[in-house]
Amino acid sequence: MITEEQLIRKGTPKGRRLDLLTRALLSGITYSIVVVALLLFGKIVVDGAPTLFTTKAPFINISFLTDKNETLHVFDDSSGKLHQLPASKYNEYLTTHGEDAIYNHQSFSYSGGGIVGPIVGTVLLTIGAILIALFFGVSAAIYLSEYSKQSPFIHAVRLAILNLAGVPSIVFGLFGFSVFVLAVPVITLDPSSRTLLSFPIFIGDYFVSFQGWNSSLMAGCATLACMILPVIITASEESLKAVPQGFRDASLAMGATRWQTIRKCVLPYALPGILTSSLLAITRVAGETAPIMFTAAVAAKDDLPWEGLSNPFDILSSQVQALPYHIYTLAARIPNSEFTQRAQYGSVFVFLLLVAFMSFGSMILRAKLRSRLKW
Amino acid sequence: MSEHLSTPKNPDAFRRRGFSGERLIRYFFASNAGLTILIFVLIIAFLLKEGLGFFPSYKRELEIYRITGMEYVDISRNNLTSHEQLVSVLNRAYYAEINGQADRELQRTKESAAIYTAMDEFGAALRDQYFTAIDSNSQELAVAESIKQKYSTLMPLSVKNLPASPNLTREERQAIIDTMLTRSIEIEDTPDLVAVMASEYATARQKFAAPLTANRALIDEFDASAGELSKRVSEMTKKVILTKDALAKADIIERDRKTLLAAAASAKTLEERDRLTKDAEAAIAEVPDVAAPMAELMHARSECASIHQELAAKVQELSAKLAFSYQQPEAKKLSSVATRALPIYLSELQQAPQLLEKWDSHLPVNLSAAIRSFLTGKNWITGGEWQDFYGILPLLIGSLMIAVVALIIGIPAGVGAAIYTNQFASAREQKIIKPVIEFIQAIPSVVLGFIGIFVLGNALRELSTVEALSWFPGFPMEERLNIFTAGCLLALMSIPTIFSLSEDAINNVPSAYSEASEALGASKLQTTFKVVIPAAFSGILAAILLGFGRVIGETMVVLLVAGNRIKIPDFSSGIGAFFQPAHTMTGIIAQELGEVPIGSVHYRALFVVGIFLFTIVLCVNAIAHRYSNKMKH
Repeated sequence: MITEEQLIRKGTPKGRRLDLLTRALLSGITYSIVVVALLLFGKIVVDGAPTLFTTKAPFINISFLTDKNETLHVFDDSSGKLHQLPASKYNEYLTTHGEDAIYNHQSFSYSGGGIVGPIVGTVLLTIGAILIALFFGVSAAIYLSEYSKQSPFIHAVRLAILNLAGVPSIVFGLFGFSVFVLAVPVITLDPSSRTLLSFPIFIGDYFVSFQGWNSSLMAGCATLACMILPVIITASEESLKAVPQGFRDASLAMGATRWQTIRKCVLPYALPGILTSSLLAITRVAGETAPIMFTAAVAAKDDLPWEGLSNPFDILSSQVQALPYHIYTLAARIPNSEFTQRAQYGSVFVFLLLVAFMSFGSMILRAKLRSRLKW
Repeated sequence: MSEHLSTPKNPDAFRRRGFSGERLIRYFFASNAGLTILIFVLIIAFLLKEGLGFFPSYKRELEIYRITGMEYVDISRNNLTSHEQLVSVLNRAYYAEINGQADRELQRTKESAAIYTAMDEFGAALRDQYFTAIDSNSQELAVAESIKQKYSTLMPLSVKNLPASPNLTREERQAIIDTMLTRSIEIEDTPDLVAVMASEYATARQKFAAPLTANRALIDEFDASAGELSKRVSEMTKKVILTKDALAKADIIERDRKTLLAAAASAKTLEERDRLTKDAEAAIAEVPDVAAPMAELMHARSECASIHQELAAKVQELSAKLAFSYQQPEAKKLSSVATRALPIYLSELQQAPQLLEKWDSHLPVNLSAAIRSFLTGKNWITGGEWQDFYGILPLLIGSLMIAVVALIIGIPAGVGAAIYTNQFASAREQKIIKPVIEFIQAIPSVVLGFIGIFVLGNALRELSTVEALSWFPGFPMEERLNIFTAGCLLALMSIPTIFSLSEDAINNVPSAYSEASEALGASKLQTTFKVVIPAAFSGILAAILLGFGRVIGETMVVLLVAGNRIKIPDFSSGIGAFFQPAHTMTGIIAQELGEVPIGSVHYRALFVVGIFLFTIVLCVNAIAHRYSNKMKH
């Protein structure tokens, strides 16, 4: 067959072999990356899927998703049958069968039960962080895209966004620890001894004390929000800029104020784009471990965040478990054995499924949006 | 007209004074934009606030280190440690040689003992119960009998999970198992066959040790030669620790006094103030005597020097003889390590007297010494009883080496994939490649770390034990988790960054460039590599720099996979250094911040590491953005 190129060039060009070789090399590199990525994903799926899915209806191992995390006890009973029981069931077994019915007893921390605590913790952290970041980020983006003119202030803002985007996550961890955990102001009856500054506000006996929120859900949310802010601002600004200038001009020409224009003619069209891009930000927030290590996360916790609280607002100042931190604990602190694999690969699989779901979702939504919003 | 008059002449009067809702809204948005600046400034301010206090405190620690004479003692101590390490390596080589020759017997002993122990442990709980039953004065003989019954019925279960025994014959294995199964619950002795194998092993060892008696004697002689030094060091250590403790105590009392004074200054009532001031005055610490112990140390200076000289002479005499020739590969390796280390050790010994003479406790420690010690220190030693050192070099080198591995893999892969996808791939291929690589970016780093521990670490290690690859330096890997494993995973993390940014850069080259090149008769290959890539070069460079920034700031993967050994890798093995474990700047913060007391020197040191990391990443990013700004066509 004769291609266009051959028609123009007449005859095969020189260096045909080199050409083929280069193409082969480059495509080899590219596809090996693809293959490695798929292999990694496949390995997790193959090892993790059995934990989450079962062969019997309803095909999903609900208890893994809804049970609390516990220590796993492995032992033989007197007939030589192997038992693997989480701590609560193990204690039950002991009371019914007596201490001496157990042989070869081993216990594995964090490996029994389900992972509802980490899932709930991650969901709370993510929602909190995204809400904060969306509020401040979209507002900042509106200023940058709708109000801004060239000014030193705008220049400084853009520089700050650019630099914040590159700050390593562990530095955000240090920042969150020294600011939100140890330094932000709280209103309290008795200021702690490590407070930076405290003064009475003459309402009751309350003091304003710069002593921080301790390691808590809100400190974690605030840290994650700071980390994700530049991503949200950039994405929102892009979506706002994508709304045609004509919309604004028309609205302003009709006598609407700047704010009315933004509220009625710009934001509604930019919002789908903003939300889609923030879905990507969600995957990043949900996956980060370093910023929450010192600000919110705890390896083991018996209660769900809202259990055992007298005041519903206390949930904000309680520590939570988090899925990425749970995986870190499972990977770093307990040995790999046939009994811990279920918890290890299962947690990673659920986590990866969540992330994949969100990132594919955002990709599909983005593609749909592009085809729908064409002006 | 009257209606017009009723409206104010100038409806903007309020607005001009800044009261309009519009303006307030504008300020609201502006303040939100300003929030980014605030966060950035807060990050810097709080890093500096926590970090800068480090240097004065560290300077005080170094000062104590010097005036108590710990630094002086360390000259001898370091030599002693080297000596002990050398002895240990020599011993390990010696035993590796013997055990290597007696390998078969060793394995047989180990396997038989493993079978025995497994079965024995299975019944151990029951046996304990049995003994308690018969010990408690005969009342429970029936219980004991029932336990005995249970024991005999249960023991066959223990056969289920026995370790493999490739070096034992089937009969031998069965014999051990049978002995264990048939014997009564009271018997605890090792089965005969196991004992026989142990004695066979002992004879084999004796046999192989016989030709090595000369070596043994030499090693023992070498070991004993440091006896005098060891005695002297432990004497000095005891004295110095006393002074140090006294000084530290005085520092604490002084600090408490200052807190009391501060509290007194802000006390509410007069009496409270008086009381606190009195407490503070009472708490003045007596200045510990540093001079007397120091004079004692200095008095013995020449003795200490002469001990070193004698030891040096002895080591020089022995060093030629200590280069043993062994047959077993493990022993050979260890022996060569020892022969390489001996001359270094010797030269240190020979310099020691001079160092001891020159050392002076009155030399002042200033702030720049603390800063220098942090920036160029080769040790990061914390939580010890002796002296903490905060030197960033091992962490910095670890971080950089991992980044180098990641970039060596990541640059060709990322840039190559970008070139292929943008220039050669069909639209359908692009639709597969781009989402997959984008998906790699979405994988959380902790998951990659998990994969590194459970999959890649083992796979790479097994690969490195393949005979055909043993020529490669550093193979087989000593540790599963090392710089190379971490680098491979970080390469995977850096590929999406490098890929998408380089792809953008190539995409941004105006199509006129390639069209013009094609029109001149250049082939696709020529156009790509001679026109498009050079035009996109600064953008690709920016992509690589941003990839580097991402790699060096990455925490979870290196924390899980890099091996976490705080030591500068041994570069004497060349590329092999990349297969050793290391620790990183990000990893140390993540690992230690949760465990240190807030406000301590160690805590502040971690913040200084954070400042260092922050500065590196900011600089790299700034350069990258400068390059990407050049890319405006």
